[in-house]
Amino acid sequence: MNYSLIYSQVTPHIPYLLGGAVLTLQLAVISFVAGWAIGLVNASVLHFGPRPARAAVQAYVTFFINTPLLVQIFFIFFVLPDAGILLSPYAAVAIGMSLNAGAYLTEIQRAGFQSLRREEIDAATAMGFSVPQMVWYVILPHIAKALYPPLSNQFIIQVMTTSIAAIFAVEELTGRAYNVNSLTFRSLEVFSITAVIYVALTLVCSLALALLGRWLFRVKARIL
Amino acid sequence: MTDRRAIFVGGAAAAAAAAALLTPTEASARPLEDVLRAGELRVGVNPTLPPRALFNDRNVIDGFEPEVAAAIAQKMGVRLVLQAVGSPERIPMVASGRIDFVMGAMSRTSERAKVIDYTVPVHSENYGIVSVAGRGLTTIEALNKPEVTLAQVRGTTAIPYIQRAMPNAQVLLLDNYPDRNRAIAQGRAQASFDGIDSVRFALRPFRQVQWEVTAVPSFGVTYSGLGVAKNNHSLRLWLNVALYELHTDGTIERLWEKWFDGPMFTKVPASPFF
Repeated sequence: MNYSLIYSQVTPHIPYLLGGAVLTLQLAVISFVAGWAIGLVNASVLHFGPRPARAAVQAYVTFFINTPLLVQIFFIFFVLPDAGILLSPYAAVAIGMSLNAGAYLTEIQRAGFQSLRREEIDAATAMGFSVPQMVWYVILPHIAKALYPPLSNQFIIQVMTTSIAAIFAVEELTGRAYNVNSLTFRSLEVFSITAVIYVALTLVCSLALALLGRWLFRVKARIL
Repeated sequence: MTDRRAIFVGGAAAAAAAAALLTPTEASARPLEDVLRAGELRVGVNPTLPPRALFNDRNVIDGFEPEVAAAIAQKMGVRLVLQAVGSPERIPMVASGRIDFVMGAMSRTSERAKVIDYTVPVHSENYGIVSVAGRGLTTIEALNKPEVTLAQVRGTTAIPYIQRAMPNAQVLLLDNYPDRNRAIAQGRAQASFDGIDSVRFALRPFRQVQWEVTAVPSFGVTYSGLGVAKNNHSLRLWLNVALYELHTDGTIERLWEKWFDGPMFTKVPASPFF
């Protein structure tokens, strides 16, 4: 009476699943880059900004860290249309994931800003740097090394988080796995293949991030 | 993440998970005599498919299928235990004996029947077009246009048909029927081609929309039975007898009318031969 694993019903769908993996990676990259930019601006505001701006950033971070991503995207996808803003499923998910990642990346980058030495800021100020110039030429190179590992981890988390997009009509890897599962009923086979694709995806991303870290910031991350 | 140990541990975990999946499990589906001995019938239902199954105002699973399951358990003389199941886990749960059979969108297809055994049908499934009234989206030809987006629920039987018969239409795959209906009401999609048995129930929350529901008999009728683990013949054969009795004494039709606000569109002929 044991369940017999038969992969032959599922293997023809592997190219279709891999197509979903490409979309997964695309969503992760877009939301991470946008979230990183949001986080950088927010961390700058928290460090240098006036009190009302700091309070606004704190409110944003508190809201997005303390509510589930699912609820945030649901709001963008289903509530905004009632206010006349109809976004495509892909845009709604990408915006939701970016805003959510932005909150976490604000906290990560704020910690990096706090690790700065006062003398470096004073020197930049004495040289007449504006805040954006200070962030770009002085702070970023300094904190990049310290922040690279947590930022890499956040990227891997973004890859995993994309699976939520399936609920909102985006045909990424998990969504396509659900489609194949409903067609074949071969749940164990479909989701074990999907898991292997996710593992491969994250290993490739880890490797790429380690190489990128070495090349850009001389971060000594081990590569296999 | 790039530490050698992390990769080793990750690889080992993946290998262990793969081994667990590939090794035949000790747990297996329970034959009839085991269910009788345990005095407990475990049935999987999907509460995201109202009114087939839903959580009622006391947060208890209720609906057409739980009531049919209760009638079956009563005939068997055992206690009924309902288990909420979703799409991915329902088949492994039947195969491993965590539930004795599964209900909820178990439309019979030859592809699915390679993995699971079906009892005789419990009810028919009839298909049609759901759209906002006055847009002329009442035929397959009208839907088969690039400017038409069909909101569908992921994993339903109509999707392969849409891919074949309406290749020009855009398809928006959502997670459940309330989301599908909301998408049409908000203009994110123009229509849906799907089962129309439960539309009277499902469209109730969207009273501000003037809906149009058009039956498409040419699609044919599909039948939904109870999903039993492959080769669990003793349980499946007993369930066939029980379902025959529930059809002939009118229980199933009565429960259908109670939950679906009207009779079944296509009656299920009760055959005494299985």
